[in-house]
Amino acid sequence: MSDFLFHEVSEKEREQIKKQAKQIMDDFSSKLSKIGKVKEPLIERDLCMRDESEGTQCDFSREIMFENAPNTLYPKGHEKGTSKNKDFIIAEKKKW
Amino acid sequence: MVTTQQKLKIYLERIKKQNKKINAFLEIRNENELIREAKDIDKKIKEGKGGKLAGKIIGIKANINVKGLNASCASKVLKNYISPYDATVIKKIKQEDGLIIGMCNMDEFACGSSGETSAFGPTQNPSAPGFVTGGSSSGSAAAVSANFCDMSLGSDTGCSIRVPSSFCGVVGVKPTYSSVSRYGLCDLSMSLDQIGPLAKNILNASLLLSVIYGKDENDSISQNSKKIDLKNLEKVPKNLVIGVLDFESKDKRIDDLISEKIKKSVEKYGWKIKKIKINHLDLAVETYYPLVYVEFFSGTRRFDGRRYGKKIEDFCGPEVLRRILGGSEITKAEYGGRYYYKSLMAKEFFSKELAKAFEKVDCIVSPVCPKLPHKIGKSISIEDMYAYDALTIPYNLYGNCALSLPVGKIEGIPVGMQIACDKFEDEKLLQIARSFEKLS
Repeated sequence: MSDFLFHEVSEKEREQIKKQAKQIMDDFSSKLSKIGKVKEPLIERDLCMRDESEGTQCDFSREIMFENAPNTLYPKGHEKGTSKNKDFIIAEKKKW
Repeated sequence: MVTTQQKLKIYLERIKKQNKKINAFLEIRNENELIREAKDIDKKIKEGKGGKLAGKIIGIKANINVKGLNASCASKVLKNYISPYDATVIKKIKQEDGLIIGMCNMDEFACGSSGETSAFGPTQNPSAPGFVTGGSSSGSAAAVSANFCDMSLGSDTGCSIRVPSSFCGVVGVKPTYSSVSRYGLCDLSMSLDQIGPLAKNILNASLLLSVIYGKDENDSISQNSKKIDLKNLEKVPKNLVIGVLDFESKDKRIDDLISEKIKKSVEKYGWKIKKIKINHLDLAVETYYPLVYVEFFSGTRRFDGRRYGKKIEDFCGPEVLRRILGGSEITKAEYGGRYYYKSLMAKEFFSKELAKAFEKVDCIVSPVCPKLPHKIGKSISIEDMYAYDALTIPYNLYGNCALSLPVGKIEGIPVGMQIACDKFEDEKLLQIARSFEKLS
């Protein structure tokens, strides 16, 4: 039994959740064996092709996008958003 | 006639007084900006130039991008994320002069069936105080139920529009998979997700759906489909065969409410009924969750701390973590097609079962949920929590349209009836639901 209210997860609980999740999936997988063999669906990919088009102009707000990535690094000597590489998010090194 | 400005004022005052308790909205837009937009809309209406949604005030689930607002997915991971663009559904709403009032609470990353897993606190059920709202579109349902807005948008992967609609006593529609663009939706499980409307009644839900419906180049799975003609909704379909799902709810009183409604429709409209059996219906939950675990795990790899500042595993709650860790485990152990592939095959099985059923009947009717909601914070097993979705999941697996319509109350708790039609029969679904609605 568990409550589903949000709370921070401790290392101990994390291990329990991992085991529990695997157990649930094993249980579900075993139950699904009852269904037996099902013929794989035929996928006609030609029908799903998109028409060639010019594409649409991206109207993203660059400023907001970079604000959303607070851990980005900028080349030395360049202020945030003013470098030549302003179209790229350069992630911090060795931090993930 | 009430103007948009007057209505907005009423809603804002109500939100100020009650939202702290109900927790339906996570963010309300700047008041001055809202008043200015409402004024512009009223001017358009006066000049006869208002769009289809002119005068309607709309809440948006916090997993849909609205430029300049916080699409937090009710998670600390995206607490500071400001959307840099509008999702396609939002663009369409704005083009038709709908007024977006704010972002609604939800289960964290849409992982939940009760509305309790939000990192910003659970949403209270305005129609049944103390009980869960259902999830994951908890705030979207509660906001409509509490009269904080006219209508709202939610997303439905396994039950997420229909279950909260049922528990909060509002109408909620899961349109046909691929009939509404998901561009700009933070995905839970990309092969099942669908955006849809919630409203007080069928006509308002249909109006919003008719605006967001249709193909979009930015969502590769979206398809062209017949437009929804609102004029057809008042016509009661003739010679209809209603399929009644062969299933017994845990609470017999729920089945009795549904049976009573069906009986009335047979008496008034002369519709026929036919019992429908879906083989292995009891395995729908077992089919669905491995798909969700794997696809959610895959989708969340972008929340690694680089683009959005916070790594998801370090900041999420237990249910999100369960799905990520479970997804990771079974992805590693997938050799031999033990989990995901097996579920895909089971999904195909259910699709065939339902396709066969819809050859025999025009629609399938059942309860939305086989049991009443639990009290907020009450400990229940994972299996019991997942069982809330038992009757809604099959239609996500097949990809057809389905909705929840309020049909009554048990001990003061609203109960929803689920009506489902075949793929791309969304207009017919709304027409049938409207006919049922008129019976009350």
